[in-house]
Amino acid sequence: MSSPARVTVSAPRWAGPASLVLAVLGVAVSAYLTVEHYSSSTTLACPDTGVVDCVKVTTSSYAELLGIPVALLGLLYFVATAALCLPAAWSSTRAWVHRARLAVVSVGAVFVLYLVWVELFRVDAICLWCTAVHVLAVALFAVVALASALREAPA
Amino acid sequence: MLAGGAVALVLVVVIALVVAKAAGLGSGDDEPATTSGGTSAAVASPAVVKAVTSVPASVLDEIGVGDAQTAPAKIDAPRLVADGKPKVLYVGAEFCPYCAAERWPVVVALSRFGTWSGLGATHSASKDVYPDTQTLSFHGATYTSDYLSFTGVETTGNTPVNGQYPPLDSLAPADEKVVHDYNKPPYTATAGSIPFLDVAGLYVTSGATYSPKVLENMSRAQIAAALDDPKDPVAKAVGGTANVLTAVICEATGGQPSEVCTAPGVTAAATAVAGAQAK
Repeated sequence: MSSPARVTVSAPRWAGPASLVLAVLGVAVSAYLTVEHYSSSTTLACPDTGVVDCVKVTTSSYAELLGIPVALLGLLYFVATAALCLPAAWSSTRAWVHRARLAVVSVGAVFVLYLVWVELFRVDAICLWCTAVHVLAVALFAVVALASALREAPA
Repeated sequence: MLAGGAVALVLVVVIALVVAKAAGLGSGDDEPATTSGGTSAAVASPAVVKAVTSVPASVLDEIGVGDAQTAPAKIDAPRLVADGKPKVLYVGAEFCPYCAAERWPVVVALSRFGTWSGLGATHSASKDVYPDTQTLSFHGATYTSDYLSFTGVETTGNTPVNGQYPPLDSLAPADEKVVHDYNKPPYTATAGSIPFLDVAGLYVTSGATYSPKVLENMSRAQIAAALDDPKDPVAKAVGGTANVLTAVICEATGGQPSEVCTAPGVTAAATAVAGAQAK
């Protein structure tokens, strides 16, 4: 008995535009956070004391990973994702392009979980700009994962 | 099916983290004990106070501007006066590491014009940048001088209670108006930042004049002891800032007391401040 045949079909029409828009928005927000990371270090001041406190998050010891600013990692992530979500990439016949897209957004989603944990339980503050990035990364993961599943759906 | 499950799993984990936080799990259990109301301030030791309030003039003269990174900005505002004397207004908070850094030079500078009593001993928040930076506190402190009056406001403590730093001191309405009107661009880099200092309505400054990193892993006693060595990075940062503050205070006091305002370290700082305004 043979398993059901699987055929490669085109991704849903909404996948390309939706993922590209999310990735480009992610590039914009993470670029802003990257600029803030490098510029705010020269401002030796404390902001307000509220729970929503971007400077506290972006200047915390968790704002860097192995010496690399997390904001910069986010920017690189969204740039790579944007490239993998271009129309040409979605219509590519090379399987590795689609696997790479899924792998990248999956890593992004897991990293978001780590960052949310850091904000809530280590820094004790929430940065709304960071939250915007988190929402975009999870939305990207949802779009790409669902599109990938539909793209390889059984005939 | 698998993709939908993975997306749902991510969302469930995020929601679980938020719910756990809201339930108070895993937070606040490594906070230091507090004396009361979210502050760990106690009265500073006499040895520390003595060292900080009697830094030799020769040391400050040798330091000059030292490692002070910024100068107060001159403003066009009504003169800030209390009890017939120019008033220095400081607004900060005990949790704030930059306030922790800036209090040292504020105390050193004002010691040249008057006398402190009741200075507190505290540290910045344990979970902020530059955690546990050791410092003094103006909460409960008094300052007397023939030349100046001083108001030091520590708005909150250093230990969160239910996720918020608890209030300590309140701003008087007049001081609140000063902060509202002048702790914002173009007078300061960002609106509402602390520490905020207004010197007699002549100058304002927001933020620390040097990085709290200079004080990293040092006790208050070590910081106080370092102020006697003009080559020490702590003395260069604290002493340099103290000279800058002294220079602008001297402008408010009309150059009194003269032995302070004509000291080489202070005149060097005054030149630097004037140069900064010209830029």
